[in-house]
Amino acid sequence: MSIPLILSSYRLDWRHWSRRLGLLGLLSSLVLLLPAQPVSVSGRVTTAAGAPLTGVTVRVEGTPNGALTDEAGQFSLRNLSPEAVLLFSYIGYKPVRLPLAGQTRVEVTLREAAFTTDEVVVVGYGTQRKSDLTGAISSVKAEDLTRIATGNLEQALQGKVAGVQVTPVSGEPGAGAVVRIRGIGTLNNASPLFVVDGMLLDDISFLNPQDVASVEVLKDASATAIYGSRGANGVIIITTRRGEMGAGGTVQVDASYGWQEVAKLIELADASEYAQLANETALNEGRPPSFDDPAALGTGTDWQDVIFQTAPIQTYQVTAMGATEKTRYYVSGNYFGQEGIIRGGKFQRVTFRVNNEYTPKPWLSLGHNLAFTYEDRINGPNVLGNAYRADPTVPVYDSLGNFSNTSINAPIGNPEAQLFYNNNNFSNGYRTVGNVYADLKFLRHFTFRTNFGLDFNQNLGRSFTPVFFVSAIQQNQESRVSVNTARSQNWLWENTLTFHKDWKNHSLTVLGGITAQFFDFENLGGSRINLPGDTREFFYLSAGELEGQTNFSGGNQSALASYLFRANYSLLNRYLFTVSFRADGSSKFGANHPWGYFPSAAVGWRITDEPFMAGQRIFDVLKLRASYGVIGNEKIGAYSSQAVVTSNLNAVFGTTEALNNGASIITLANPDLRWESTEQADIGLEMAFLANRLAAEVDWYRRITNDILVDVPIPNYVGSANNPVINAAQVLNRGFDFNLRWRDRIGGLDYQIGGVASTVYNEVLALGEGKEEIFGGGLGVGGKLGTRTVVGQPIGGFYGYEVAGVFQTQEEIDASPNRGVEAPGDLQFVDINEDGVITSEDRTYLGSPIPSFIYGFNFSLSYKGVDLVADFNGQMGNYLINAKKMARFGTPNFEASYLDRWTEPGSSDSEPRVTNGGHNYEMSTRFIERGDFFRLRNLQIGYSLPESLISRMGMSRLRVYAGATNLFTRSPYSGYTPEVTSGSVIAVGIDSGVYPIARVYQIGVNLSF
Amino acid sequence: MRGENRESRPTFKTKHMQTNIFIRPLAALWLTGLLLAGAGCNQEFLELKPLGQLTSANFFETEEHAIWATNAVYAHLRDWQVHVFSYIALTDIVSDDADKGSTPNDANFLNDIDNFTFDAGNVAPSGVWAGYYQGIYRANLAIQEIPSIEMDEALKARLVAECQFLRAYFYFNLVRWFGDLPLITQPLNPDEYQQSRVPAAQVYALIEADLKAAEAALPLKTAYPPADLGRATKGAAQGMLARMYLTLGNYPEAERYARQVIESGVYSLYPNYGKIFQREGEHSSESIFEVGAVALETGGGGSQYNEVQGVRGTPNLGWGFNRPSDDLVAAYEPGDPRREATILYPGEVLPDGSAIVEDNPNIVNERYNQKAWVPEHPGGNGNGPGNIRLMRYAEILLIAAEAANENAKPEDALGFLNAVRARARGTSLTILPDVTVTDRLPLRARIWQERRVELAMEQHRWFDLIRQGRAAVVMQSLGKAFVEGKHELFPIPQTEIDLSGGAMQQNPGYN
Repeated sequence: MSIPLILSSYRLDWRHWSRRLGLLGLLSSLVLLLPAQPVSVSGRVTTAAGAPLTGVTVRVEGTPNGALTDEAGQFSLRNLSPEAVLLFSYIGYKPVRLPLAGQTRVEVTLREAAFTTDEVVVVGYGTQRKSDLTGAISSVKAEDLTRIATGNLEQALQGKVAGVQVTPVSGEPGAGAVVRIRGIGTLNNASPLFVVDGMLLDDISFLNPQDVASVEVLKDASATAIYGSRGANGVIIITTRRGEMGAGGTVQVDASYGWQEVAKLIELADASEYAQLANETALNEGRPPSFDDPAALGTGTDWQDVIFQTAPIQTYQVTAMGATEKTRYYVSGNYFGQEGIIRGGKFQRVTFRVNNEYTPKPWLSLGHNLAFTYEDRINGPNVLGNAYRADPTVPVYDSLGNFSNTSINAPIGNPEAQLFYNNNNFSNGYRTVGNVYADLKFLRHFTFRTNFGLDFNQNLGRSFTPVFFVSAIQQNQESRVSVNTARSQNWLWENTLTFHKDWKNHSLTVLGGITAQFFDFENLGGSRINLPGDTREFFYLSAGELEGQTNFSGGNQSALASYLFRANYSLLNRYLFTVSFRADGSSKFGANHPWGYFPSAAVGWRITDEPFMAGQRIFDVLKLRASYGVIGNEKIGAYSSQAVVTSNLNAVFGTTEALNNGASIITLANPDLRWESTEQADIGLEMAFLANRLAAEVDWYRRITNDILVDVPIPNYVGSANNPVINAAQVLNRGFDFNLRWRDRIGGLDYQIGGVASTVYNEVLALGEGKEEIFGGGLGVGGKLGTRTVVGQPIGGFYGYEVAGVFQTQEEIDASPNRGVEAPGDLQFVDINEDGVITSEDRTYLGSPIPSFIYGFNFSLSYKGVDLVADFNGQMGNYLINAKKMARFGTPNFEASYLDRWTEPGSSDSEPRVTNGGHNYEMSTRFIERGDFFRLRNLQIGYSLPESLISRMGMSRLRVYAGATNLFTRSPYSGYTPEVTSGSVIAVGIDSGVYPIARVYQIGVNLSF
Repeated sequence: MRGENRESRPTFKTKHMQTNIFIRPLAALWLTGLLLAGAGCNQEFLELKPLGQLTSANFFETEEHAIWATNAVYAHLRDWQVHVFSYIALTDIVSDDADKGSTPNDANFLNDIDNFTFDAGNVAPSGVWAGYYQGIYRANLAIQEIPSIEMDEALKARLVAECQFLRAYFYFNLVRWFGDLPLITQPLNPDEYQQSRVPAAQVYALIEADLKAAEAALPLKTAYPPADLGRATKGAAQGMLARMYLTLGNYPEAERYARQVIESGVYSLYPNYGKIFQREGEHSSESIFEVGAVALETGGGGSQYNEVQGVRGTPNLGWGFNRPSDDLVAAYEPGDPRREATILYPGEVLPDGSAIVEDNPNIVNERYNQKAWVPEHPGGNGNGPGNIRLMRYAEILLIAAEAANENAKPEDALGFLNAVRARARGTSLTILPDVTVTDRLPLRARIWQERRVELAMEQHRWFDLIRQGRAAVVMQSLGKAFVEGKHELFPIPQTEIDLSGGAMQQNPGYN
């Protein structure tokens, strides 16, 4: 098993333990201050069956001291206080906490725990034993995250946590993912808050997944309310790795290399099919046909084949870590490189991390977690849409070897030319994220912590377009270079005071804190034209002409100030109570309501610890918990409540044609903007059976988002150039989260089967400001509105005509309700209101973009040196709009589905005659497809060489592995991937051409010294 | 386990003294944190101003702001949705003067406009709808905010009048395309976003009031310094009033305002018809209102008006839309030089002699609008430098002629009409003889014919056909699927009806 697993399963971070177990921890540290007589302690650790356990971590609470048991299960420790408390932990077993109370020889029995209820879980501003939790928190361990071939932690979370839907933004190199926790309840930017080692962040692209020790997903209000106005979308707490006491220091080397290929292609017409369809289109639209003999054209150019490639993905990491009595250290260096499966794009990242902690005095510890990242990107041109649409009858190059003109039948540029001429868009940047903290213990019960975090990001972007001519729509007459630099920084200072006291049957922990965070962004850039050359050494502003230069500089700032409070009280060690409160002040909301208040309360009941349960043998764990709270969302632009003046609206006057300065307010602001708030209730049941081999957790949640912030389309006659953000609706999400795990050992075979699943029911409860409906989603050529949000339906539900079939004859049209524009071969729409004609009133609800069921399951087994893991995930019940098929300027290429078109009576009752627009391109079920999928997300097989063999080479571990990511996906959807993200909650599930995901084959090695 | 607490308690007295040593710095730290957050509650930490930009809080405070806000309305006249693609579609392409042009497959939605197969989802009507209402918004804002600025009162009055003129111009095109309209005369609050359509007569009442106010307050073209040419003038307001009254069939008023323009003595016909549309004809003696555009290296002053109509192929000057129709070619009298000045054929030398238009095999029956031709210019055609001529003196003469004829003054009408013909004729003695017919109906026909050829491809034709009540006859005779009672108006964009919350009704015939 890997080091990360040990680390994350048993977070023996003495600071956390001592805070959680407060008084005792404090005591032991206090005892250490006394000139007490040190003792030596030895002991033996065994299983319940009496077999010795090797490699058990034994640690002295409140100190970094510790040891490992040997092959006989023996250990010894010196220089201990007689009052010291020992902590024993071993993977797969319940940890044991043993006060010495003067003993010098101890015998300890560890019991197997398939479901380790006493693992330590990171919560907001602290840690808790899982058994003490009253909130819904899911933990994911490092080893479950690093097996996916990605440089992005969010993508690695897919299918790992009940209630979390992870959708990759795209398959582009270095791309992130959209993470939605428990359905859609909030505005455009519904991504959760990330807390990395205490630093609050919105973007964790800098983070190297291999530096992560554990991920905690906070789902219910009891867990997230301590983050107040930033908790509404859920909170993901990431703890990076740190040095552990062990057999001296450890050095690890990890390397992997993979090959990515496009997981699926879209079936498109080939040249002769295209020509045939184009001719029919021309005929149907009253134009002369373009092609004399379609059949003679053969297959022509496969433009998808032109743009896709097999691309490498690789990562290399060196880690050194360890701990001494007063110092713990973790140092790593990592390189991650990924090229695009569409030619041209490339992403490289180098990360260094130093996580150290120092304990100069028993009452003082301080430390830092620092990550330095360098990123380098080549942003490939957005060529996908052109490859989808380009004319397959045109070759890549013409007979003279020039790029062919692909714009004769449709205004589509030559994709190969685009890759050649538009591939000079570079960016690179440095980012430093880290925090420095100090913990002070005083007056028996108190711990004061101050934490200062910084996120500093400096980016440089550079793009160049040469002079070229391919066709009238694909040309550039002046070379141009643009250079811009952006700097963003934010600092966070948090001061918390924790009080902890245990007495008799009571245990109380109270946390109070004051925090402030400040964000500052500034950019600066310019452009020049007519560069003296087309190569990279000329891509600087100074190389261009002074005439025609442009420049800009801008900035924004925002600030948050907060007070936080939480109390955890436990009675008789089985009745658990938590209340929390946070007050947030934000600069983003106007002077009228800058403050928001976010309370929560929760109870837990450890039923198995009740006396009346003492005799039962069914449950190893049975715990019930319930919570309720209010959380908020402040993710709007820094100045959304103020209208800004747009400049450069210049008029040209006079015979000299001079520019005359113009400026005005052309976009609307909403001065009435209110906080969005979310009320969430959660009831959870945790169970373990059969000697903890079977563990199950079920949560029911109900979440109501009030005053949801959305930029809602407004009528054009209002005259605004944008859609203002408004508090638009009240939305309900409710459902269940399930988590099930079976774990056992048969002989030498360890295996585990786990599954997570969640249901989402989404319904709009009310719309704001007297509205009866909200339209959204600009589709096709005319920006048709394809979603309609109304009370009683899911937010952003699809809206349009229901297709009854295809009109076969004019007589059939005349005898049926129609729009008055149909010809034989056109779609027949259902007369929903039965008024005998088809009008826009006959449009209806066509399905929800929100999956009703999201699931993931995994198998893992290990036998001797062999380990095997398979992860599956999927979702069901959602629909997509294939919007790329709706947008036809000219006669671009056709999806293969057009080949089933109507040509004469009886030829088709589903696919209409071929046209480029008009009636058949009204939003209808024609463009709606099911978005279900089931995917083998990851498959990996590894082999660890026997220790006897490698120890001679000085190694403690040598594992080689091979694996595949996204090996197969079953989905009825015709596009590249059914996972489509969107900028807006009222325009979800609209596929206008998403960068395809990659299938990755990967080999790698893990080495430890 | 917890019993240990008690046992260790006695040791705490000693402990206390030790902890007290560091409790003071600790308290200080805690206090620091408190102070920091205390500062947070203070307004300073949370009250942040937008950086590097003006906001509604500090705009409309100076004379400069008033000028900028007015200029911003003019700037919108170069917009894609105001005077470029959809505009040309709904004025020329839809009419008998022009076909879609370009390659057969490019921009199919314009085929639908050309062939009367468009519906309420078509991009062209929704384009001008959005573009013109954005212009109205900018004008409304300026008209509402400028009066309260402390500044030179004369300039203030002029700026407001300019914005009123522009607002009237936007509404005038809209009402002719769509009929009844949501009448927005000031920036709307969110609770006012649901608007219904008011009768066209009400829209015309606003246009009339705005133009009359502008007419009263604006200076003559000659009163502006040369650097301000392109701003709305008294003459432009009078001309627009004449155009509006003609549209409404109010011939006495049309004649009155047309005569005011004529009698002002500010304008005269430019001697060379073809040159009006070239660089030298910008802001010429004939220009009553035109949109300034310039191709700068920096961009920001051009329009795409030239590009969408420019030669497609070689020389590479544009996209080739708005092809003059066979019917227009046939409409000219023999030898009328205006035909050559209006239509550019393959094989023809460009007006500046720089190149010959080569035949483009992908374009059927290739022809271009020569009035939109401009020479090459930096940065490609998106940076088009050609001013967009919106009102010429010749149009005013023809309005005067048409109105005078309807007002039973045929001799006056002939005078105005023949002035236009004389300029077109130039020095030739054989073409375009003076019209002499004085009977109202034949003279009306001659004036309409003269309007067609004089103003061809200048985006007047469709409005003329509708105003003259003969769109159905003319279009149907060309085999177009024009439906009487339906196609006189364009459909309200379906998205607008949806977003109005059902408050707006569709025009007849469009489901």
